[in-house]
Amino acid sequence: MKPAIAQYYPGDSVVHRLDARAKFVAVTGLAIALFVRDSFAGLAVFAAAGVIAYVLSGVPAAWFWRAFRPLLWLVGLTFLAQVLFAPGEPFFSFWIFHFSWAGLEFAAFLSLRLLVLVLIGSVLTLTTAPLALTDGLAWLGRPLRRLRVPTDELALMVTIALRFIPTLLVELDQIMRAQRARGADFGSGGPIRRAKALVPVLTPLFVLSFRRADELALAMEARCYRPGLVRTRLHPLRAGIGDAVLLGLTVVVIVAGLLV
Amino acid sequence: MTGPLRGLALACRGVSFSYEEARAAIPALRDVSFKLGAGRSLALLGASGSGKSTLLQVIKGLDAPEAGEVLLDDVPAAAAAGAELRRQVGLVFQTPELQLFATSAREDVAFGPRRLGWQEPDVAAAVDEALALVGLPPEQFGGRHPYALSGGEQRRLALAGVLAMRPRLLLLDEPFVSLDPATRRELAKILLRLRADGVSLVLATHDVDLAWALCDEVLVLDAGRVVAAGPWDLGEAGRELREASRLREPFLVDLWRRLGRDVASAPRTVAEAAEALR
Repeated sequence: MKPAIAQYYPGDSVVHRLDARAKFVAVTGLAIALFVRDSFAGLAVFAAAGVIAYVLSGVPAAWFWRAFRPLLWLVGLTFLAQVLFAPGEPFFSFWIFHFSWAGLEFAAFLSLRLLVLVLIGSVLTLTTAPLALTDGLAWLGRPLRRLRVPTDELALMVTIALRFIPTLLVELDQIMRAQRARGADFGSGGPIRRAKALVPVLTPLFVLSFRRADELALAMEARCYRPGLVRTRLHPLRAGIGDAVLLGLTVVVIVAGLLV
Repeated sequence: MTGPLRGLALACRGVSFSYEEARAAIPALRDVSFKLGAGRSLALLGASGSGKSTLLQVIKGLDAPEAGEVLLDDVPAAAAAGAELRRQVGLVFQTPELQLFATSAREDVAFGPRRLGWQEPDVAAAVDEALALVGLPPEQFGGRHPYALSGGEQRRLALAGVLAMRPRLLLLDEPFVSLDPATRRELAKILLRLRADGVSLVLATHDVDLAWALCDEVLVLDAGRVVAAGPWDLGEAGRELREASRLREPFLVDLWRRLGRDVASAPRTVAEAAEALR
């Protein structure tokens, strides 16, 4: 299977071993600082932090590149939109498009900012298992429970959704193969024909998903799952000295980025 | 049936295939070669994960082999000349009832024939014929919703969806799994009927007794390699090989051996055994 956008790469690096909560807080802090600061020097500081974190993560470049590549479209589109429509003294005009040095500079800045954001965000998702991330978010959301927000149940929903995406993909593949064996053609024709060809695929997929949901709910009840209870975890989140160091370094990077 | 169906001859020559995983390619078939004559039936045996399902999907052309080729009536299936022959191969997946999608049994069975571009009257005739063949009379079951049928009926309906395309070679992946004894018997009868009509059969199964009752030949896979191919080897070597491949002897063959009788003439059915022992 090809890695999806910024998909988790199992590993045992320093970055992998850090607590999901600390990593999430650090990334959120950096992202906010990134959008507050509007100079190339600030960008360079945050970019350097992102690159160092990536190098420490030990994720192979090929995996990173495959996960990163689809997002370059977004960056490219941002650049184009800014270049074509940004205000400023034009040095070249064509139809409704005006090119100006100020516009170019602004577009480059915005695209670079987006790149750095994607880089920092990728390090988080590449090195943190989705389940650990969900658990971390549930923990960080705990204060909301006072407002009667069912954070643990929301986390369970996300966990189940993440758990069943690969299962559903396998089932989808099986169903499409069975239809192809009966002469179905998913690759040709216009968009309407292609959409129509998906009906015989989606019907059994939905039926299967509902059946699965029903069975899972029963199985959970049979094993005494009740919403709203305090639950213990198989893998308790454990913050250590490394996480304190990470948060300390993050504060240093943010201050440096905002001041340079 | 409109005229006798003649089976397709099948051959695999050095077929290899592996699945791409995140960090490595996992080989599923390694240099698989065998031949099956037109109208013959083949039991595809082997432990779970030995490559049975993969082989069926490669034969049907859903996966292209990395090396080697599949021949249908001696024509390479991947060649342009093989396209028509490839359409004459029917594949019944494991638990095919999970793939039913239409709002009536008739519509579901008609899906394949319509994809073949047949005229509506021909489609209707093929649908009625297939439903009758699997024991779901069209006048009674044609309008029923597939999800309103029992598990065994759904399995037979899914089989009808493949039979309606009038395959000359039928590949079945574990067709007997999780069926009650009555439905197993009915399904076995349908397969015997197809065999009598001259359709070539490949039956992937763990059920060696049904394999023995239904199939002329046997192909044993172990970790993607062919360890035995051809007519059943009922001698000591064949027995040891089957046991080494996590299988067991067919009940009637085992009985014949323990009775000290000639295993070469072991009966295929309980009725034959009773007749011989009377």
